[in-house]
Amino acid sequence: MGGEGMKILVVGGGSREHAIAEAIARSSSTPRIFSVSENRNPGIRRIVEESGGEYALAPISDPGKVAELASRWGVEIAVIGPEEPGFHGVADSLRDEDVAVVGAVRKLAVMEMSKAEMRRMQWRNGVPGRLLFKTYHSFEEAMDDLRSQPDAPTWTQNVALKPARQAGGKGVKVIEDGQAYLHREKAEFKVKHAEWIDRYISGYGDLEERILVEEKVWGPEYTLQCFSDGYTISCGPLVQDNKNAFEHCMGPETGGMGSYAGPGPLLPFITREEYDRSVEIVKKMVDAVQRESGERYVGFVAGQMMLTELEGPTLIEMYSRLGDPEGVNLLALLETDFVDLLEAMIDGKLSSVELKFSEEATVVKALAPKGYPDDRRAAGGHPIMADEGAMTLDGCKLYWGSVHEEDGLYTTGSRAAEILAFGSNLPEASEIAERCTGAIRLLDGWGLYHRSDIGSKHMLERMDELADRARALYKYREERGTLGKRKDWIPGLGLVDPAQELERRLRG
Amino acid sequence: MTGILGIGAFGSSRRNWSVARFLYYGLLALQHRGQEAVYIITADGDLHEAGGEGPVDYTLVKGVDDIPGYAGIGIVSPAEGISIHGDVALAGDGAPFLTGGWTSLTSKLSSLLNSSSPIDASVKILDEVPGAYSFIALTSDGTLMIARDPSGLRPLEVGSLGFDMGAVASESSALEVMGMKHVANVEPGEVVVMDGYSVEKAKVTRAGERSRLCSFEYVYMARHDSIMDWLPVYRVRVRIGEVLAEEAPAEADAVIGVPETAVPIAAGYSKASGIPLEIGFASTGRRTRTAIKGSGIDRLIGVQLKLNPVEAAVEDRDVVLVDDSVVRGTTLRNVVWALKRNGARRVHVRIGSPPLRAPCPYNSSIPEPDELIGSSLSEDQIAEVVGADSLRFLSLDGLIRSIGVPMDSLCLRCWGVRG
Ligand SMILES: Nc1ncnc2c1ncn2[C@@H]1O[C@H](COP(=O)(O)OP(=O)(O)OP(=O)(O)O)[C@@H](O)[C@H]1O
Repeated sequence: MGGEGMKILVVGGGSREHAIAEAIARSSSTPRIFSVSENRNPGIRRIVEESGGEYALAPISDPGKVAELASRWGVEIAVIGPEEPGFHGVADSLRDEDVAVVGAVRKLAVMEMSKAEMRRMQWRNGVPGRLLFKTYHSFEEAMDDLRSQPDAPTWTQNVALKPARQAGGKGVKVIEDGQAYLHREKAEFKVKHAEWIDRYISGYGDLEERILVEEKVWGPEYTLQCFSDGYTISCGPLVQDNKNAFEHCMGPETGGMGSYAGPGPLLPFITREEYDRSVEIVKKMVDAVQRESGERYVGFVAGQMMLTELEGPTLIEMYSRLGDPEGVNLLALLETDFVDLLEAMIDGKLSSVELKFSEEATVVKALAPKGYPDDRRAAGGHPIMADEGAMTLDGCKLYWGSVHEEDGLYTTGSRAAEILAFGSNLPEASEIAERCTGAIRLLDGWGLYHRSDIGSKHMLERMDELADRARALYKYREERGTLGKRKDWIPGLGLVDPAQELERRLRG
Repeated sequence: MTGILGIGAFGSSRRNWSVARFLYYGLLALQHRGQEAVYIITADGDLHEAGGEGPVDYTLVKGVDDIPGYAGIGIVSPAEGISIHGDVALAGDGAPFLTGGWTSLTSKLSSLLNSSSPIDASVKILDEVPGAYSFIALTSDGTLMIARDPSGLRPLEVGSLGFDMGAVASESSALEVMGMKHVANVEPGEVVVMDGYSVEKAKVTRAGERSRLCSFEYVYMARHDSIMDWLPVYRVRVRIGEVLAEEAPAEADAVIGVPETAVPIAAGYSKASGIPLEIGFASTGRRTRTAIKGSGIDRLIGVQLKLNPVEAAVEDRDVVLVDDSVVRGTTLRNVVWALKRNGARRVHVRIGSPPLRAPCPYNSSIPEPDELIGSSLSEDQIAEVVGADSLRFLSLDGLIRSIGVPMDSLCLRCWGVRG
């Protein structure tokens, strides 16, 4: 077998990249698929072999290595899956080798790499859906603010405490300090965590700013994933990812334990108007980063959004890639020929491609070995097996993730696989996916966990309730002209607008 | 009655948390479920214990800041403390039908843990020990074993704090007081094990047993800001008042509720009857539960401190006095007398539950029938005893309608319904 079509390289070895490779393989143009990743992913390997391509193991964030492989294989298009290669300039070096790249070059990927820079860019360019924030170069510098008393301006109390750099879905803490009687515990925790962030981010060695403190907001979250050719941005159906490791939104932050989308382009609790506003926000961010960098944005881009009482659609984070697992939902629903789409992005002709998505509901559930996310050593090294036949019979698809194939198949410490199911509605898809989780297990008896509540009726009811509350409040603000407006009263200073303060600070 | 609570931090940063104060405030919020004793145990590799007889803010206030630990359990109780056996500490609510009670259950769990995983050991306990109970057990490495038996009669609710902590408590209000988001209930027959790096669950069923909710929780025991098994207590109590107004109307100028439990019931009565709600009492000192106090004299002291009438609210008025339940009539007699002394013309007593007729085999601190005025006297006789111009109870059917779940998913034993 083997395709006669174009040679296309997929960079990355996770479930998202498995889904990307599969979407490419579905194309009527029968492309030959090549892959480079740090783990041998059996799903990607199979697709590569069937298409007559080649598979190499190499450090994917090493621009020289990836470019060398691409030119050795003579690939025409490269698609970059994860964020780290983008941060390290892999797209740039591929471009230097005359490979057409779908993936943000370094100066564009900064929008995701530096959460601080992302916020500054948003404020500088007046992009809506903004949050107050402050950055620090060290934890010593942050200490006083983190310990500030519970009667300080509210936003400094209820905060998201983050590494200033994207750190692979790790290190974000959301701390509400709403009980003065527990202030001491929370302040101490914040300081200790900031100390950890400081150390952790200095390990990357690529950013001066280490700690970001951001106003905490509440509301349902959703991800808007789009394709950009530098002129046009076309967006897909909304997807909701779920970050907490365990059921009922409990437990540590993960890269995402499961996601759901549909039926149709909206989520059941997000309106068309909110969708449109979210698209506006992502568009404006891409415009801003293109203008400021002078680079053309060819690739995937996504806004991780929250519907807040403060402003409605609000930007939590930008992705210079597809989400994982959200990308699996998106590509599963995509009906347009993916290679046509890639070419249109490269050629700047996205506006002439009609993006078509299936109207079905999809649910993706991630499976992770016990220990993930905080004890990856314990989570790694377990033999894993899936009965893909049984899964197919039940109507599911399996996307291999953090596993490595070498004398058997072993977990490598992160989310090992993702299961995708379709349905006419979300609870139905959720139940199908749930059934399929039984067809995959670790052979040494170590636990493999997932969240049974992703896309369930109960979860949707809760999201509905949350969205209704946030919506009622932001709509009322809109009526009164106070959308996104904040006011503080500080004894001795009087009435202050923290947003104006922030803008003054940013102007220097 | 008893209130129990457990909390644990997650992940590699869990040692950055110290939970003792969370336990302290959580137990303060459960204080109404047990006032005689309070204990906490925390874990950080070792177990640390504190507590004793007396109310939370008196017994635990000193030293709680110095107790280390990233996981812990606590109990407020009229009688029992935390049982400890080897490396296992356990806070239990309800009645395991096992000779030796909680002490033997704890040693049974401890010996099971020698050969089985925490989840299997906890499942085995639910499988083998009948009764009606919930428990939260803790080992020195910070593993929490949480179980609610298949009867479902003893509540447990789950809370979450950001990416950092998980907790369970008898009532959701305690979770909120600890700054947590109330996210779910522990289901009847469910076992949950939280060890800092994972949350595992299992489900146990008992042949022939279906789970039921304790109706007394909704009428009297729980705080009105709690949501238990997805039912908001406040909504049930307001509904009780509305149904009561339908079933037992009264001619009056004001409705007043006996604090704190009957206040939402009075609000419902007022809403449905159109009679204005007045704030009839002011309280002195800490909140006490007069129905579950130990001796008779203690109860009276409790009532009189809790219920100083507001003269201007009742003077020259016919009053509907709403209370949640009647145990011995002591409270009522005192209150009716005080209202009349303060100028109320007529006092019509309306009770937001049927007459209490039987003690609770699951340890709800309801006395024997000969100590329950409603088990032998008629409404008119009780009215005479307490000095009221009329007295009506809510009907059993009215209670069931107010809670809003089918009769066979409720335990109504204290109202005299067997089964
Ligand atoms: N300002 C905020 N207010 C409330 N919650 C927030 C805020 N910022 C982040 N969060 C929560 O923390 C989660 C992770 O935050 P963020 O997306 O910034 O981190 P990340 O580690 O980069 O995640 P990802 O895996 O998506 O890249 C969000 O999904 C959201 O639930």
